[in-house]
Amino acid sequence: MKLAQLLILPATLLSAVLAIPEYSEHLHLRPLPNGYLYAGFNFTASTSLSAYESQHFRYFPRSLGQILQHSHTKELHLRFALGRWDDESWGSRPRDGKREGGTGVEIWAWLDSGGGKPAVEERWSSLVNSLSGLFCASLNFIDRTKTTRPVLSFEPEGTHRGGGDGMELLHGTLPHEVVCTENLTPFLKLLPCKGKAGISSLLDGHKVFDANWQTMSIDVRPVCHVGEECRLEIQQTVDIVLDIERSMRPRNDPIPRPRPVEELECDESKSYHASDTCYPRRKEGEMAWSLSQIFGTPVRGSCHVADGDESPDVSLEISPDRAVEVLHSGSNETLMSDAQDQRLRVYRLSDSGKYTDISLIQQIIQEAPHQEQPPLYASRQITGFGQERGGMHAVLHNPHTYPQRIVYLESLPWFLRPYMHTLKVLSHPTTSHDQPATPVKPDKMFYTPALDRKRGTHLELLLTIPAQSTVELTYDFDKAILRYTEYPPDANRGFDVAPAIIRVLPLNSNSTAGNGKTQDSYLRTTSLLLPLPTPDFSMPYNVIILTSTVIALGFGSIFNLLVRRFVLAEEVPRSALAVRVAGVMGKVRGWVRSLKGRMRGGGDGGGRAVGGAGEAAGGAGGMNGISGVAESRKER
Amino acid sequence: MALSARLLTLRNSPVLLKLPPYLSALCIVIGIAWLFILPLNEYSRQTYVSENAILPGQVHTYFGGSEHNVFRAYRQEVYQISQVSETDRLAALENVLREIGLKVAAQPYRFTVAGEDVEGTNVYGLLQGPRADATEAMVLMAAWLNFEGEINYSGLALALTLARYFKRWSIWSKDIILLIPADSTYGPEAWVSAYHSTSPDITATRNVSSLPIKAGALQAAVALDYPVGPWGHRFDKLDILYDGINGALPNLDLLNTAVAVASGQMGIGCSIHGILSHSDSYRDRLTTLAKGVVTQSAGQATGPHSAFVPYHVDAITLKTVGDGWHDEMSLGRTTESLFRGINNLLEHLHQSFFFYILLNANRFASIGNYLPAAMLLAGSFTVTALALWVQSGQVAVQSAAKVAGTDRTEKQPELEVVKIGDAVALVPAATTKPAEREMLLPAAVVLAIHLASFLPLYSLNSLHRQYLPTALQAITATSLLLPALASTALTRRFEISTQQIQIMQSFSLLLLGTSLATLATLATLNFSLAFVVGVLASPLSFVRPLPRGTSTGFPAVLGRVGEAYQYALQVTMNLIATLLYAATSPPVVLYALCWYISQDVGGLLLEMAKGWSVQGVYTSFVIWAVWWPAWVVGGIALSSGGGQR
Repeated sequence: MKLAQLLILPATLLSAVLAIPEYSEHLHLRPLPNGYLYAGFNFTASTSLSAYESQHFRYFPRSLGQILQHSHTKELHLRFALGRWDDESWGSRPRDGKREGGTGVEIWAWLDSGGGKPAVEERWSSLVNSLSGLFCASLNFIDRTKTTRPVLSFEPEGTHRGGGDGMELLHGTLPHEVVCTENLTPFLKLLPCKGKAGISSLLDGHKVFDANWQTMSIDVRPVCHVGEECRLEIQQTVDIVLDIERSMRPRNDPIPRPRPVEELECDESKSYHASDTCYPRRKEGEMAWSLSQIFGTPVRGSCHVADGDESPDVSLEISPDRAVEVLHSGSNETLMSDAQDQRLRVYRLSDSGKYTDISLIQQIIQEAPHQEQPPLYASRQITGFGQERGGMHAVLHNPHTYPQRIVYLESLPWFLRPYMHTLKVLSHPTTSHDQPATPVKPDKMFYTPALDRKRGTHLELLLTIPAQSTVELTYDFDKAILRYTEYPPDANRGFDVAPAIIRVLPLNSNSTAGNGKTQDSYLRTTSLLLPLPTPDFSMPYNVIILTSTVIALGFGSIFNLLVRRFVLAEEVPRSALAVRVAGVMGKVRGWVRSLKGRMRGGGDGGGRAVGGAGEAAGGAGGMNGISGVAESRKER
Repeated sequence: MALSARLLTLRNSPVLLKLPPYLSALCIVIGIAWLFILPLNEYSRQTYVSENAILPGQVHTYFGGSEHNVFRAYRQEVYQISQVSETDRLAALENVLREIGLKVAAQPYRFTVAGEDVEGTNVYGLLQGPRADATEAMVLMAAWLNFEGEINYSGLALALTLARYFKRWSIWSKDIILLIPADSTYGPEAWVSAYHSTSPDITATRNVSSLPIKAGALQAAVALDYPVGPWGHRFDKLDILYDGINGALPNLDLLNTAVAVASGQMGIGCSIHGILSHSDSYRDRLTTLAKGVVTQSAGQATGPHSAFVPYHVDAITLKTVGDGWHDEMSLGRTTESLFRGINNLLEHLHQSFFFYILLNANRFASIGNYLPAAMLLAGSFTVTALALWVQSGQVAVQSAAKVAGTDRTEKQPELEVVKIGDAVALVPAATTKPAEREMLLPAAVVLAIHLASFLPLYSLNSLHRQYLPTALQAITATSLLLPALASTALTRRFEISTQQIQIMQSFSLLLLGTSLATLATLATLNFSLAFVVGVLASPLSFVRPLPRGTSTGFPAVLGRVGEAYQYALQVTMNLIATLLYAATSPPVVLYALCWYISQDVGGLLLEMAKGWSVQGVYTSFVIWAVWWPAWVVGGIALSSGGGQR
C-alpha cells in the first residue's frame, strides 16, 4: 500500500504547494526477503498542452513530443521488461503492476481515430517505427499480426476531451525482444539531467540488467486539474529487483568463486561438523548494503531543476529499528522528513553536495517484514509435446477471502491456432481438495480469430475468480507449418508467445468483502516458447540437388528416346551437304593425285578411280556418326 | 509396348522363379555381414560437436575449494536422511532445497504394474535463472535410488552442492530444475509426463499428480549416478548412459559435449555400455556395437534419463564406474562445465545426429551407414512374399503331364498362339493364363492370427507377476501346437489349396517385411529392434510345406526296404525341420534369452510388463503382434503338407 501512497505522494505535495513542478524525480528503496532489494525510480515531467501544441518544450522531451504529435497519439504506454517478479516471496507488485510490462517490449497507445481505420493504422505504424528509432528497439516489427485491439483490459489513464471518444486503442507486444543497455541509454537521454546528476546517476546498464527483474516504462498522458490548464505529463519509471549479494560483488572480480574455507559459515550443530565438513548455515537477519556498493556509484549531485519542486528524492521503506547512515560530501545538509508512517524514511538530496550515499548495516530484526499479498497468482504454460499440437494451461489462484473479477487478455501469434471449443475454465477451491472442479462461465468474452499471416488471435475474458480457489484455463491448439522463408535464423529455438495480461478489477465500493483494492491492478504471466515444426534447413539444397539429378537422368534419357530415330546404318539417306562435300573432297584428292601422277608421268584414269572410292568411304563414316545402334525387329 | 511385352515374358522365366530364395538368403547374409563392417574406420566416423553454440569445455570451472567441505556435509546429511522414514525423508529433502534457495515442490505418483502398486514421491526444486525469462529450462537429476536400487548418496549430495553453487551465478539463460525422483524408472517417468500435460488423467494403472511448479521448455537433462556412501570412493571412468525408451536416442551433441568435457577438460575417461577397457580395436568396437544393438532393441529404460528422451528432451546419465583416482569434485566440475555448455545453447539441440550407433565414446556409425542392414533383412521377406505371390498365380499343369507317364499317347500340353505385332509364337497355354487367386481364406487366416496375437500380449502385460511364468509356459505350449492344429483344421475342414497356402504366407511376409510397415518402418525408429527381429524371423522366408506321404523316386528293385528307408529318412528330416522351426519361435527365444543372461523368466517378463504399462515400451508389441503371427503362419504352412493340389 505504501507504494500506492508514494505514487500519489508527489501529487499531494503538489496540491499543497499549489504550483505543479514541471519536473520531479523519486527513488523508492525497499529490501525484499531473501536478500533482494527493490529500487523504483520515477521521473515525472510535464508541460502545458498549449506549450506542447506550439512545440515549446522544456522538461518534456522534444524528440518524443514530436513523434507523438506526428502520429496523433493521445496517450502512450511503452514498456521494456526483463526477468520475472517472484510473487511468492516478494509479495504484491510495485505500483500495482501498472508500470510493468511483459517480457520484451510492450506498447499500447490511444490514437486519434479521425480518418477511419486506414488512417489509424498509418498512424500506428508511424508511431512504432519512430519509437523504434528513438529507443533502439525492434518496435518496427509490430505489424498487423502483432497488433490487437483490447476491449476491456486497458482504460485511458489521462483526462481526455470528450471522455475518450474519437480515440482508438492499439496494443502490440514483442516477447522475443531482449532489453539491454541500448534501450536504457535513449531512455536516460529523455531526462533533463540525462543520468549525470540526481538519482538517475545510479542507473548504470551493468547493474540494471543484472537485476532479477527489471521493467522500464514510459507513460504519456494528459492530466487536467480543476481550474487549471491541462498538462501533458510524461512519467518514466525504472523498477528493478537486485540480488544484494550479487550486486555487491566488486566489479573487478565478479566471479562467484567458492569462498575460502575460513569464510564459510557453518552450521556447527550438525553432528558431523568437522574441519573439512561444513553444512552451510542459513543466513539470518537483514543484509548490509549501501547505494554505492549496490549501484557501483553513490548518487551524484541532485537534479532539482524545476521551480517549486520540494518533494523528497529518496524514500526508504524499512523497519523502524534499522540503523541508516547517510553520507554526504561537501555539505552536511540533510533533509529527513518524519513521515507519519514509521516504516518510511524520506530524504532530499542536497543541492550543494557532490555525492550522497545511504548505507545500512547488517542487523537482525525480530519483526517480520510487512508484506502485502498479491491480488492473484498467475502462471501459464504450454503443455504437450511433439510438433503437431499442444495445449495452453493457465492457472489463476485467488488467495483472498473475497471473489475477484478479472480480465484475462491473450494475444497469440497467428501460427498458434487455438480451438475455442476446447476452452475450459474450471475452478476448484484450494481449501479442500476433494471437491470436484466446477466450470466457471466467463461473464464476457471477446475473441478475434487469427487470419494466416494477417492477424493474430485476440482473446479477452471477463471472469470471476471465486474466493480462495484456483481457476484453470485450458485450451488446445494446433501448430501451423510456416513457409521456410518465414523462419527466423534461430528457428529451432521456438517462437515466443506473448505473456497473458491479467487486469484485476477493483471491487465494488458497496461490497461487503471489505479490504479489497479500490484501484485495479495488473499482472502478467511469463512469456512462452512455442516449438513449431522446423524443417531441416539443409533439406532445400538436398532437394534441389536430388531433383536436378533425377531430371537430368530421367528427362535426358526420355528426351533422347523420343527424339532419336533408330534406323539401320544402310537406311540412312545421305545428306546433300555431305554428298557435295565428299564430291568436292574427292575432286580435290583426284586432282592432287592426278597432279602427282602427272609429275611421275603416269596415266590419268587410275587416279580418278581411287578418288571415287575415297568418296564412298567418307560418306559411310559420316553416317556411322549419326545413327545409333539399330535393333532388328526380327529379334522379337 | 516393347518393354512391357518383354517384362511379361520375364514372368515365366524359369531362372527368375528359382531366384527368390537365393536372393532372400543373400539379403539376409549381406544384412548381417553389414554390421560387421561398421566398426571399420571406413564405415564409421569420429564424433564431433556439430552445434557451434555449445562450446564444450571452453569455460573455466570454479567448482572446488570450500565446496568440497559443503559436499561432504551434504553427503552426511543425505546419509542421515536415508536413515529416517519416507515422509521425514521427503520433508528433510524439501528443507535442504529450500535452504539452498530453490522453489520446492513435491509430486506423488502411483503406478499399478503386474498387479502391484508402485508408489513414490518426487521432490524437485526450481532455480530461476536470474536473467532468464522462464521460457527454457534444464534438468539436473539425482534419483534417490539409482537404477540398480542403491541409494545415490554421493550423486544426490553432489547435485545439492551444485545447485547451491549454481544459485550464486547470474549467467544462467535457462532455469535449472533439480529433480530428485524417488527411483530411476517410475519417478522420472511420472515427473516428465506430468510436466508435459495439463492435468494428468487418472487411470487404473496410473495416478500421477500434476506439478505445482513448472518452468519453460526443457532443453536437456543430466542425471548423476554415484551411489557411494559417506566414506567416499574414487572412480575410474564415467559411464555415459544414453538409451531412451524404445531405442530413442538423445542428440549426439549432448553425448559429445559430455565426452569432450569429461575427457578433454577434466581428463576423466568415458566408457559406453560399461566397457571399461576399450582399446579401440575392431573387436572392442564390435562388442560395443553389439551391446548397443541389444540394449536399444530391448527398448527398456537404462537409467533415470530414459524417460525424458521420448518427450524430445535430450538426456544422459553420468554413472561412475571402476576404481580410480577421480573424486566427486571432478564429477562436479564435469557437470558444471556440461551445464555451462547447455546454457550456451540458443536453440534446442538439433544440429547433430539423432540416429547413431556408438562404437566407442568418440566413434559412431550414422544412420546412412547402418540402416541398409535392417532394410536388407526387411527386403528378404518382401522378396519371398512377392515370389510366393507369383507362384500362387501359376497353374500347375506340367506336373500332371509328367505323372501320366504310363499312358503311351502322351498328352500334349495345350498350346496357344501369341501374336505381338508381327511376331508370332506358340506357347503353352498355362504360361499365359493367370490362375484365379482365392484370397478370402488366406486373408481371413492371417487376420485371425494377428487378432489372436493380442491374447499373449494382453495376458503377459496385465496378469499379476506371480502368474507371468505360468502364462508364458501356456503361451509356449499353445504357440507350438497352434500351427499343427490350425493346419489340420485348414486341410481337413476347409481343404486349403497349395495356392492358398502360398498366398497366406505371402500376406504374412508382406506384413512382416514391407509394411514392417512393420520391419522397414520400425527400422527407421528403432533400428536395433527391427534388426534383431529380422534376424530371428529370417527362417520364415524359407519355410515351405514339408513333404507328406511317400514318393516313388527309388528303383523298384529295392522294393519295400528302400521305401521304408526312404520314409524313415523323410520323417527324420521333417522332425529336424520342425524342431528347428520350433526353436525359432518367440516364446522359445525368450526362454533362451533368459538362460543366456541368466535371469529368471519371471523377472524378465516383469521388466517387460513394467516397460509396457508405465513407459510405453513397444518391444512386447513387436514380439507378440508382429513376429509371433508371422511365425504361426509360417508354422501352418510348414505343417500343412502342401495342401490340396
